[in-house]
Amino acid sequence: MNFRRRIRPAREGGYEIRLGTAERDLLEDLPLQLVSLLGDVGDKPPAELPESIRRLLPPAYTTDPDAERSFVSMTRDDLLEHHRESLETMSATAKATWLDDDQLSAWLAALNDLRLALGSMMGASEDETEPEAAESHPAEWIAYLYLGSLQTELIDVLEGTLPDPIPGADDLVPEDRWGEPPGGLRWDGTPQPEGQ
Amino acid sequence: MSAISSATTAAPTEVERPETHDNPVAERPWLVIVWNDPINLMSYVTYVFQKLFGYSRAKAHKLMLDVHYKGRAVVSSGAKERAELDVARLHQHGLWATMEHSE
Repeated sequence: MNFRRRIRPAREGGYEIRLGTAERDLLEDLPLQLVSLLGDVGDKPPAELPESIRRLLPPAYTTDPDAERSFVSMTRDDLLEHHRESLETMSATAKATWLDDDQLSAWLAALNDLRLALGSMMGASEDETEPEAAESHPAEWIAYLYLGSLQTELIDVLEGTLPDPIPGADDLVPEDRWGEPPGGLRWDGTPQPEGQ
Repeated sequence: MSAISSATTAAPTEVERPETHDNPVAERPWLVIVWNDPINLMSYVTYVFQKLFGYSRAKAHKLMLDVHYKGRAVVSSGAKERAELDVARLHQHGLWATMEHSE
């Protein structure tokens, strides 16, 4: 198989981006569609938001509505701005053949946001089989898979740029106090995947 | 989590069990919990844990596997403000994070 890396570190710093015209058109257009959807969010409660958008604005407190309202009022604007900036940066640099570190980070965030939005909208599951909605949204399903492959490649590159771990940080994580969930289920009630 | 990137097996980590105390409410730390979702890539979740918290690759990978197989994992803990900041940063990275007061 003639596999060519689409994203790789450039000798002079930054990253070389080698993508076809159709890919670049998609990366220019899709983010703007999501930005437009995000523009309608305002301070609407989650129940009034479409599935695709709700996943981008998860709750922090699930059992304390007052604390959640306060959290949302503190963080919602920044969160929306972060999503918007990443998406707009990817769209604006979709035709670029070279990206700097910040731009590549924005691509990673934007690819993830797009996959979350598309996947939630179609009801994507973990086993990579086509959800029912893929039949009515074939273009979105193909885009979802494509974005996943590009994101995987991007993570491979970015993993090499992570700074050294912070000494002692691992030891600060509390131990898993819940142990194994019962009955072959996860704690959220979904079936536990095989393999561990 | 989506398995586009296949998981490798992490060595089990030995964690020393802290002694339990009867902490007054104010001293009980808040726990930041990441929940499994079917869309985020396993490699992405591992990357985010390393980037945001400075964890080693092995630790980040173990936490990701806990999220994937058990459905949730505590990824950090601390005072309320600290936990809220961590949750907000995880939300910015698209992870499904919540927080709760430890018992």
